[in-house]
Amino acid sequence: MVDRASSLRRVVLLTLVAVALAAGCTSSDSSNDDNSRESYGGAADLPGPLPQGVDFRKPPRSALIAPDFSVDLLDGTPVTGDDLWDDRPLVVVFTASWCDTCAGVHREVAGVVDEHDGAIGLLGMVREDDAEDARDYAQNLQLGYPIAVGDENVWLNYAADEPPLVVLIAHGGKVLRGWPGDIEAGDLAEELEGLFRGPAERDE
Amino acid sequence: MTTPNRLEPPDGRRRVVITVLTVVALVGMSGCARSGDTVDVRLSIVVADNQIRAEGVECAGARPYEYVHAGARFTLESEDGTELAEGELPAGRAENADPSIDWGVERIPTFCVVEVYLPGTPEHPGYQLRLEGGRPLQFAASLISEDEPVRLTVQ
Repeated sequence: MVDRASSLRRVVLLTLVAVALAAGCTSSDSSNDDNSRESYGGAADLPGPLPQGVDFRKPPRSALIAPDFSVDLLDGTPVTGDDLWDDRPLVVVFTASWCDTCAGVHREVAGVVDEHDGAIGLLGMVREDDAEDARDYAQNLQLGYPIAVGDENVWLNYAADEPPLVVLIAHGGKVLRGWPGDIEAGDLAEELEGLFRGPAERDE
Repeated sequence: MTTPNRLEPPDGRRRVVITVLTVVALVGMSGCARSGDTVDVRLSIVVADNQIRAEGVECAGARPYEYVHAGARFTLESEDGTELAEGELPAGRAENADPSIDWGVERIPTFCVVEVYLPGTPEHPGYQLRLEGGRPLQFAASLISEDEPVRLTVQ
């Protein structure tokens, strides 16, 4: 009788330990998930595959070729401009962690780009001396788009004298337009809308 | 014959001497206090970058003055290099670079002007404002007034 009670107690105890361990694993998993989203503006924010059925207009012949760049995202992931505009248009926001206007512009641009379900890319670009503070900037904004650290040449090549500067690059890599300073969301939305080829154009 | 009593009330001449001595003493004391006097310093840091902006928008120094921006550290020193105050710059505001011209458009050549207020700054004949990444901006105490900020041009 005593043996029975003792083995029953052992089973209950083992069950409790198993449940506790399982709970521990679950909670540790979820905290890992949280941790992974503690870092914004890195590889996790790079765009996925281009949505099906999307087609873009060719940029005007007169448009200037976008200077390519090799940069690291905030988590150290290397990317090039060419990687990002190879299959879809790219909006680059030259920004700074200390610039309130830039944060507003960045948020506004992300809102417009969001409307296109991944068909348009968005890249934030900060200066090298701002890389550390840019992590807090990315964390505060939580836009879900990558942010890169661009050296002097990247800023010079795009004549980014003062943030914010928004640059629209066609898919394939031609500069379509730049907006220094503040930007009207409607203006950008119209420009982005004009990048897509409708079904009638595709038949031509 | 009477000897003058030292406890006698002072006559007119003595009263004048005492008054003069008191005044001299007060002036002397105030002179000593002056060495510890403070002054409220208002500065306009003018970044003469001629950047095209809408007048009045928030701004930072454009290249090559990108070190003048909100949050950038500064120190105010006396002419002999003693640190008197330190802080972070606020954002600047775009000012028409040449108000004599009617540009006729919204975005015009501008300077970025950053205002700094340093109340209770120890008095010195001269000062220099140091911004990380730039040359020190020197100014004389005689330029400080209650009406106008001291304009320091970064160029």
